[in-house]
Amino acid sequence: MIRVERLRKEFDGLVAVDGVSFTVEAGEIFGLLGPNGAGKTTTLNMICGVLKPGDGRVLIDGEDVWAKPKEVKRKLGVVPQEIAVYDDLTARDNLRFWGSLHGLRGAELKARIDEALSRVGLAERGDDKPKTFSGGMKRRLNLCMGLLHRPRVLLLDEPTVGIDPQARLNVLEVVREIAAAGTTVLYTTHYMDEAEELCDRLAIIDHGKILTLGTLDQLRRLAGEGEVLRLSGSFDQAAASRHLAPIDGVKLLHVGDGDAVLALDPAGPGLTAVLPRLLDGDLAVADVSVQRPSLQNVFIRLTGRELRD
Amino acid sequence: MPAFAILRRDLMRLLRSPLRTLFLFAVPLAMAAMFGLAFGGGDDPEITIRVLVYDEDQGLLGQLLQGAAGGAGEQLELVAVGAEGLEMIERGEASALLHLPAGCSDAFLRGEPVTLELIKNPAQRFLPGVVEEGTAIGALILSQISRLFRTELEELAALIEGDGVPDSAAVAVLAQGITDKLHGVERFVFPPVVDLEVTTREATAAAAAPDVGVMAVVFPGLAFFGILFLAQAATRDILHERASGLLRHLLTAPVSIGDYLLGKCLSVVVITLLGFTLLVLVGAAAGVSWGPPPLVLALVLLASLAASGLLLLLASIVKSEAQQDALGTLVIMASSMIGGSMVPLSSLPAALLPVSRLTLNYWAVDGFNDLILRGGGVAEVAPNLLVLGIAGVAFLGAGAFFLHRRLVSGVVA
Repeated sequence: MIRVERLRKEFDGLVAVDGVSFTVEAGEIFGLLGPNGAGKTTTLNMICGVLKPGDGRVLIDGEDVWAKPKEVKRKLGVVPQEIAVYDDLTARDNLRFWGSLHGLRGAELKARIDEALSRVGLAERGDDKPKTFSGGMKRRLNLCMGLLHRPRVLLLDEPTVGIDPQARLNVLEVVREIAAAGTTVLYTTHYMDEAEELCDRLAIIDHGKILTLGTLDQLRRLAGEGEVLRLSGSFDQAAASRHLAPIDGVKLLHVGDGDAVLALDPAGPGLTAVLPRLLDGDLAVADVSVQRPSLQNVFIRLTGRELRD
Repeated sequence: MPAFAILRRDLMRLLRSPLRTLFLFAVPLAMAAMFGLAFGGGDDPEITIRVLVYDEDQGLLGQLLQGAAGGAGEQLELVAVGAEGLEMIERGEASALLHLPAGCSDAFLRGEPVTLELIKNPAQRFLPGVVEEGTAIGALILSQISRLFRTELEELAALIEGDGVPDSAAVAVLAQGITDKLHGVERFVFPPVVDLEVTTREATAAAAAPDVGVMAVVFPGLAFFGILFLAQAATRDILHERASGLLRHLLTAPVSIGDYLLGKCLSVVVITLLGFTLLVLVGAAAGVSWGPPPLVLALVLLASLAASGLLLLLASIVKSEAQQDALGTLVIMASSMIGGSMVPLSSLPAALLPVSRLTLNYWAVDGFNDLILRGGGVAEVAPNLLVLGIAGVAFLGAGAFFLHRRLVSGVVA
């Protein structure tokens, strides 16, 4: 549904996006994960046809965004990072205006407005002006405007920045519902937990380049890490090191007095084979927890640093 | 069509924020109201100058004064008073008190210095000044008569003071002497060195001119002044939408920059036109008789178009809302000062008129003056309509062109 080919953009000699390519299949939620300034918004602006690429092209449903802008934009819903609503109009007025730009009229427009407001939990506040809304409510109205015309492709640019956890959950839930109904979603974020929770596939972007791309499991494997084991108990550092270091199939990441962290080798014998050996011997282990490796680990492996804000 | 959706949205924004909209019209309405209150409303008042005359002399000068007052018609009312006149002035019952001291007529006839006393009402600003000027002129005339006809005046005094009816021969000799002296100064006095010529054309125009009030003189200029500010606020919105990201979001819909600019141009013109129409209605309610409705409508329409175009052009060359506020206000104030919005065109120095004609204010205000003050018709207003129409189309076209180029390079490229 979305095909991005070798996108490149420079601003005054500074390369913001450098040869970005990926595809998003119909009905998929695709995440673009990266720190602020990585090139996510610039990429999104080129995809939705408001920023002309220096090089490369974007196809939406097989049509070039810049060759047939109006036809392509009718299929797109865009939720920008900024709150793009008019404070001096009511929520309904904002939606009415936006719907009319997409050719919606009369009873159909009214029905769509009611539906969209209900979906994001703003049905009771439709006749109020956004200047009386909280930040989270404004974000939800922003989302509403992107959904109103039932687009085939929804592009969301960090839609949960600066909102409370409850509003964030609402936004993520709506995105899941939209995708479940067959809408293709491209979602940019710098929150790794959101990307992990929401996306079918994702690309990690930094300094304008795609570092890696795939499903969450693929990315973890690409990073070369399996599950992480965390041990705690009544043991000292030296004893733990002596006992844990020689065990095949794990890599000792951290050891201290009373706690240790190990990475399970994906190519090794597996957790069931390793676990009895960890608990065997004189080491007094009281608790063992198994965690899946996070995208944070993947990002560190790929860039040598933590994902910054 | 996206342009109409944008127009509808902008009008809706005005309706949803009535206080902001009213504030936009507050400046010209407040200024017009202040002028109206200062000059007594929309109707031209019949002004009568009331002067108290405390005549202790009861002689020739008092009689001359009464004769002169009769020539001034109903505009001058002389009230004979006694010593209580000063208190009447203090109570504000007249504009001035003229005191003719006892014996002043005799002294005048004898050629001795005469002092007349004028006491002005301090509570009034203009009318006592008129009385003072008039009295000064009268005193000058009397002084010249006294010098020119010194001998004859002394003979006249003797005749008046003599017993019984004056001798006919003495009167005839006196008359002959005055006539001879007049012949001697004929080339200087007849005709006067500086003549006041009242031409037929001026008299006819004055007779045909509608009876207008102060509001009719000041309101059109102030209304156009207000409209320029309204157009500035409307065009400022383009810069705000661009800076806030609203425009970029708008362009994610099936809307081109051309659609957007067409919609914004329509919005600016329609908002300005509605504003001007509202001000014309307010003016009419305040007593301004605007003239033939079709011509007024045409003038309002083209003046609104021109004001919109000018401010759109300014918006296309500035980089930010702050810059537009500064430059726009400067241009509006300067053009309003020299273009007739703040000072009537008839009061501008002649040397300033060529510069004044370079402003839109001049063509708008002069057009309304043609309709309201001079009773003009199509022929008189046509040049104004033509200039405003051409300026409007040219400014709007240039503004839209430059804005399109800037938005493409600033937003999309």
